[in-house]
Amino acid sequence: MSLFWIVLRQLAEIEAMATSKKVITSDEWEKKLNDVKIRKEDMNRLVMNFLVTEGCVEAAEKFRMESGTKPDIDIATITERMAVKKAVQCGNVEDAIERVNDLNPEILDTNPQLFFHLQQQRLIELIRNGKVEEALEFAQEELAPRGEENQGFLEELERTVALLAFDDVANCPIGELLDISQRLKTASEVNAAILTSQSHEKDPKLPSLLKMLIWAQNQLDEKAVYPRIDHLPTATLGDPAV
Amino acid sequence: MPASASAHRPEDLISRLRSAAADGGANLKALRELKNQIIGNRTKKLSYIKLGAVPSVVSILASASADVKATDADADADALLLQSAAAIGSFACGFDAGVKAVIDAGAFPHLLGLISHPNDKVVDAGARSLKMIYQSKLAPKYDFLQDKNVTFLLSLLNSENENVTGLGASIITHSCETSIEQKALSDAGVLKRLICLIGGSLCQRDASLESLVTIIKGNPEVVSKFLGPESGRALTAVTELTKDRCPRTRLLACMCMIVIRNTCPCYLQDVGTKTKLVLILLELLDDPGQVGDEAAFALSSLIAEKEELQKLAFEENVVDKLCNHLRKGPLQAKRIQGILLALADLCSKLESCRSRLLSLQVLSMVTDALSHDSANVRAAACLCLKSVTRSVKDVIQNLSAGSFMKEVIVIPLVQLLHDTSTSVQVAALGAISNIVVDFTTHKSLFIQCGGVKQLAQLSKSMEPTLRVNAVWALRNLTFLTDNRCKGGIFLELTASALASLIGDPEPSVQEQALALVRNLVDGCIDSVEYVMSEDGHILHAIGRQLQTASKPEVLIQGMYALGNVASGNEFHKEAVMHQLLPQIGDTTQSIIIKHLQNNDSRLRTAAVWALVNLTFPSSPGAHGRVVKLRNAGITSQLKNMVNDPSLDVKLRVRAALGQIMTFGDGST
Repeated sequence: MSLFWIVLRQLAEIEAMATSKKVITSDEWEKKLNDVKIRKEDMNRLVMNFLVTEGCVEAAEKFRMESGTKPDIDIATITERMAVKKAVQCGNVEDAIERVNDLNPEILDTNPQLFFHLQQQRLIELIRNGKVEEALEFAQEELAPRGEENQGFLEELERTVALLAFDDVANCPIGELLDISQRLKTASEVNAAILTSQSHEKDPKLPSLLKMLIWAQNQLDEKAVYPRIDHLPTATLGDPAV
Repeated sequence: MPASASAHRPEDLISRLRSAAADGGANLKALRELKNQIIGNRTKKLSYIKLGAVPSVVSILASASADVKATDADADADALLLQSAAAIGSFACGFDAGVKAVIDAGAFPHLLGLISHPNDKVVDAGARSLKMIYQSKLAPKYDFLQDKNVTFLLSLLNSENENVTGLGASIITHSCETSIEQKALSDAGVLKRLICLIGGSLCQRDASLESLVTIIKGNPEVVSKFLGPESGRALTAVTELTKDRCPRTRLLACMCMIVIRNTCPCYLQDVGTKTKLVLILLELLDDPGQVGDEAAFALSSLIAEKEELQKLAFEENVVDKLCNHLRKGPLQAKRIQGILLALADLCSKLESCRSRLLSLQVLSMVTDALSHDSANVRAAACLCLKSVTRSVKDVIQNLSAGSFMKEVIVIPLVQLLHDTSTSVQVAALGAISNIVVDFTTHKSLFIQCGGVKQLAQLSKSMEPTLRVNAVWALRNLTFLTDNRCKGGIFLELTASALASLIGDPEPSVQEQALALVRNLVDGCIDSVEYVMSEDGHILHAIGRQLQTASKPEVLIQGMYALGNVASGNEFHKEAVMHQLLPQIGDTTQSIIIKHLQNNDSRLRTAAVWALVNLTFPSSPGAHGRVVKLRNAGITSQLKNMVNDPSLDVKLRVRAALGQIMTFGDGST
């Protein structure tokens, strides 16, 4: 948590800086940081927002009990969403689709791109498991119509179907489709769509804050020399370069 | 692992649905499978509809609803309601054939019944499905003028359930059409509630913004209420939302502001707001989905007919950005249509926009769109060309170099004259009208392509818009053109056709026809013969219109046409006299005096011109005509007009009187 304090204070301090390029020593900087007031409640809300958006149900529940922070979504709905996300991450796409449809049938009906990506993932899973004939049939019956309905999908469709042409799928040029990262990408897309349908913002606030910090530091670099945070995970303040 | 669709063939699934009606469990499983097969899958929806799935699903919904009424809430019955409602909603989602099937099968009343169900999830399912139906044009019209309907609508909007408020908003968005309906809703407090919902969750916000646009659009009274004190800081809230994170929210908030501005131009006038709107819409164009498509249309509605906004947009490089989007093919039809329409609006008044567009070398993309599958895209391409061809400067000169003009533009446009869609034909006529105005090269190209025949054909159409625009194109074609061209046009049209166009039921057609005749007889004396053919058929038609018409523009063109005829030989001049002056025994006031006394200075000018030509001193019969005019009281009428407020009239009156006086002042 203390790293988090530092990051937030850093951000606040930079924003208050004056215009000329001055040199600020570590001592001066630390002093300025200590003068910045950040409320604990705000931090707790940021943490809760992160846990809830990412779907860490147990952590969110525990955090709620220990800190008294109210989550901004009903934790019960998180469980369903997490089940969907997990199903995709494990490659059980059909199961995920059924769960999403139980949760809210509008999501896949009004999100052609998401639906296409889920179908694409199903095809990838069939290929991964060596079920070539089923994969071919699936591609023809389920994916080809998506391409007909929307020309924008054709390129990706062709790319995915091309997997069927290779014997050694894992090492082919488009082998990255078989990577776990592809599953995670699809899972993230579904997660975001569910959150949006529940009127919740799909991105947590914390990454935005960190991005702002980096941007603010870059801006300040033009005007001053000061202890930077160069490594976000540790949030250690560096020495001001001379 | 997932099984492919063939293990659950559609026909099997449907027979499972139909049979075992008593076995709720089997039904439930089949329903759920059906639902999961069709969601997101338009192709499957269509095949299931063709196999008659929808009535089966609706009957399950109906019987489950009936059961619920009889017994206590039952988990299985609820599940059946849920799944059948969800399946029906999916059939209706974004898919007109599905909406029709669902409505025809009688689903509507059952879905309505679900809204008051104790189980929240059932309510959700019912509300969602109804919302889907209401998003289609095929939805039943909601009667906002009936009190109980408005009460029901308000109850929907006041619900705690987001899907139900969404349904209420959806009904308004898609069913509210007239200003009476808008007022009724506003008076009933719907406006207030919607403004409240803007501050709600993301879904509520977007839905209510959309409804607000519908209620406010074109209704100054409702706009003032929206901006008035009882509505709190509604405008501020909407303005804030134009900066929201969610693109769809930004778009809808912009549309709201645009609609306010278009309805009541006194609001939102400052340059800052206008620039911001343009910039936000430009940025929204980058969105690859529906938001991007609609942003182009919103841009059109913002700038259409408004030169200062078009100028502002031009300065923000909108032309370049729109052209860049065009280059990113392949694009969906809606997006191309939107971009072309926005370009058409941008180039409608400003030469700078037109030159910019042409310099960006995208004209070939516009002309390609002339043969697009979608009629809307074809029409939009024509409108774009119509705007571009308003430019009569070097720009068009460059275009007409050689075959480019002919093959790429004129031929496709002429082909579109017999397009299946009327709006495409009208739009093509608009573009053609501009192209044939100037430049002999264009006129002869057009004629070579058989354009005149097409126009003559269209001038006989049952559709008034087609007639007007076809005659307009012909009018432009005959403007300052040579005798050979005129001859060709006259041959194709025929005197009797022209005479009947002059007497057309639509005043706008009469106007264009008379203007066409004016152009036809303008120039050399031989041209004047056209109106004399077939016993002066056309001349008589003109005379009749001058007596009966009331629209000033018609009278003006008619008067100028006669004036041009009066510049011909003796025979022609006498024929005009015959039309303008009352005959012996006829006590009605002569039409020439009536028009000389008209309030519209343009008409007075035209009338005096005719007199100038009739009294031209060096014509042999001038003296005789002057005497007749004097006897008819026209000379004294002219004397009264010596100080006419309009300079044009005054100058011609003095010229005419000067000519008349050369024959003596008539005092004997």
